Amino acid sequence: MTITSAGSIASPRRQSSSLRFSDRRKLFLLCLALPAIVYVVLVAVWPLAQGIWYSFFDYNLLRGGGRRTFAGFDNYVALWTDATARRAVVNTFIFTFAAVALEFLVGLGLALLLWRDGRFNRICLAFLLIPVTITPIVVGLIFRALLAVDYGFLGYFLAEWGISGPRGFLANTSTALPVIILIDVWEWTPLVALILLAGLKSLPTDILEAAAADGATAWQRFRMVVLPLLLPTVFLALVLRVMDAFRVFDIIFVTTGGGPADATTSLMLYGVKQGLEFFNIGFASAIGNLAILCIALMCAVFTLLIRRADVRANER
Amino acid sequence: MIKTSFWKLGAAGLVYVSLAAAAFAAGKPLDGITLTVASQNDQFAPVIAKLAPKFEEATGAKVKVDILDYGSLLTKTQADFVGDTKSYDLVTMDIVWAGQYADNKYTVDLTDWIKRDAAEIQLDDIYPAMIQYIGQYDGKQVAFPFAGYAAVLAYRKDLLDAAGLKAPETAEEFVETAIKLTNPDKKTYGFVANGQKGPAVAQDWLQYNAQLGGSVLGPDGKPAINSDANVNSLKIYKQLFDKAAPPGAVDYDWGGREESFRQGLVAMMETWSVGAPGYYDPSMSKIVDGVAITTTPVAKGLPVKYGLGGWGMGINADIDPAQQEAAWQFIKWLTSPEIQKEMNLEGAGSYIRKSTVADPDLNKKFPYLPVLAKSFENADGDYRPRIPQYPEIQDLLGTAVNAVLVGDVDPKAALDEVQTKAEKLF
Repeated sequence: MTITSAGSIASPRRQSSSLRFSDRRKLFLLCLALPAIVYVVLVAVWPLAQGIWYSFFDYNLLRGGGRRTFAGFDNYVALWTDATARRAVVNTFIFTFAAVALEFLVGLGLALLLWRDGRFNRICLAFLLIPVTITPIVVGLIFRALLAVDYGFLGYFLAEWGISGPRGFLANTSTALPVIILIDVWEWTPLVALILLAGLKSLPTDILEAAAADGATAWQRFRMVVLPLLLPTVFLALVLRVMDAFRVFDIIFVTTGGGPADATTSLMLYGVKQGLEFFNIGFASAIGNLAILCIALMCAVFTLLIRRADVRANER
Repeated sequence: MIKTSFWKLGAAGLVYVSLAAAAFAAGKPLDGITLTVASQNDQFAPVIAKLAPKFEEATGAKVKVDILDYGSLLTKTQADFVGDTKSYDLVTMDIVWAGQYADNKYTVDLTDWIKRDAAEIQLDDIYPAMIQYIGQYDGKQVAFPFAGYAAVLAYRKDLLDAAGLKAPETAEEFVETAIKLTNPDKKTYGFVANGQKGPAVAQDWLQYNAQLGGSVLGPDGKPAINSDANVNSLKIYKQLFDKAAPPGAVDYDWGGREESFRQGLVAMMETWSVGAPGYYDPSMSKIVDGVAITTTPVAKGLPVKYGLGGWGMGINADIDPAQQEAAWQFIKWLTSPEIQKEMNLEGAGSYIRKSTVADPDLNKKFPYLPVLAKSFENADGDYRPRIPQYPEIQDLLGTAVNAVLVGDVDPKAALDEVQTKAEKLF
């Protein structure tokens, strides 16, 4: 009996000592990565899984004693049937596409203007970066005060001159969202410009010089040489901004609170309201999951488009 | 041998007991206890923080006041209750949260404690409406009132006198006077109220709605939001905004509304009495000499009731009994006649006691206190239903009323939609 048990203990020892070098190396690397894996599981994978799990329940912390009732896809169906949720999805997409498109176009223009290195350009760049350094909540509060019709520096005159209507841009359902888009553009265009400028500065000068020597016009050089080479940077700038813009919350929260009516309600604003005001955890989780899904899909589409463009540029 | 040890042990015990008694006599009953209060950022909050050292002096218990804005207070305290984290011992509870608190047993039911200490509390001196509305729900007392506010009408006596008008006594007169006093060319407006989407517009409309005979719930306790009375009152509210309010009012919350009144832009405003000390303060108000305060006007033929709001103090049900008892001591101290008077002399604008409202020193400083007495005697704290579903109903109304004010939606259609959504919450 004793012999058998001793033998059974001895056997794995023999196996472990006989681990091949590559296996031991793998084990060692796994041990090195373990803290990072545990960290990611705890702070990302586990909450994400919980969020997905909760989204299939009717789960309100304030009612029914916090009981969870399985609800299948009801919360996801509600995203479609609930008029406010639908409006929030539409608003978020309009905001994301309009803001990011404007930021990219203006940012690219600024980056091209600032491409040439010079003292004036460096000073301009320093000033341009000021909006990026301000917290979005503060940006929202500043614009809210500026645009107030009764005492705001801009709002008063815009109303007085009949440009904004007597109640101002932010209290009008058709102008509130465009104004918020412009506020976002004001704040984040410099960041896009900076990223694109960094990309422009790292372009190989010999190719550009060769194109110029071949007699390509400025527009041809930009379209056929600069833009294809800049694509990875463009991708980075777009992905960063799309991810950020889709989660828009703070600027809207302080300027309009999602109003007037539902004109500026975004997905995140609605999610926070459902989750942290009404403690409607199931529905709020569904909103969060939809946002994650949308962001992931948009990033995937961008990656695909840019890769295709990249391949096409290389084929030429 | 055994006998000697016995006597020695007895003597040592005696010494120990007498030493402990001496130590107890020298110390204070709540020594070593710290109470953490989650407080709404209203005028009472800094005053409570300022007076708290006096409680420590008297009892030995330290009081830490965490001052939070409305949204943070709601989120943080709910998270504390739901997660049983015991971060707060005492929580300031808005009058409209009573249903949620009672349903979820977040706070200690104070009914028996109030009975036990009725004489010490001087219960007869507290307006019955305070106990009833601020904290009483479904037979439970989930919070004890410490800051009662009356809905009052603040108006510019100078402007009304100049126009040969007197302060409106009925809701109908109010609308008429507001429109008459409006002259956009001179930038003077007859009326202002909250128009901003969310709790701001919902709460103000509910106040006017009650005065015009509307009600959120029907007699059966179920939503009756699209009733004729409510639709009619919403039409009048829109009319006031279109014809008598500053154009920016559709985007005002409490801050913007109060500021427009203090800056002299507006002639009449219904508001909570807690803001009144500010109108008499020349450092922030341009209307010190012209302002007056009276009761809110109610529509002809309706029972005369005045809106009641305010805050109660609840004791976290998760904390241990000794801590709960200390928290109750703090509530009794805070609501005692002496501290109530001191709080209000400091400008807290928070009243629950008849003796405080009648106090000569306070009346000298705040001439509008008789208006509060009248309002508290005929108070209605249920015009904003204190049911667990209130926050969601308020949010639905906050969007719908704002949509009507900005001109997009017909009042009936807006309230029909709220009714459909509200029914699903019951």
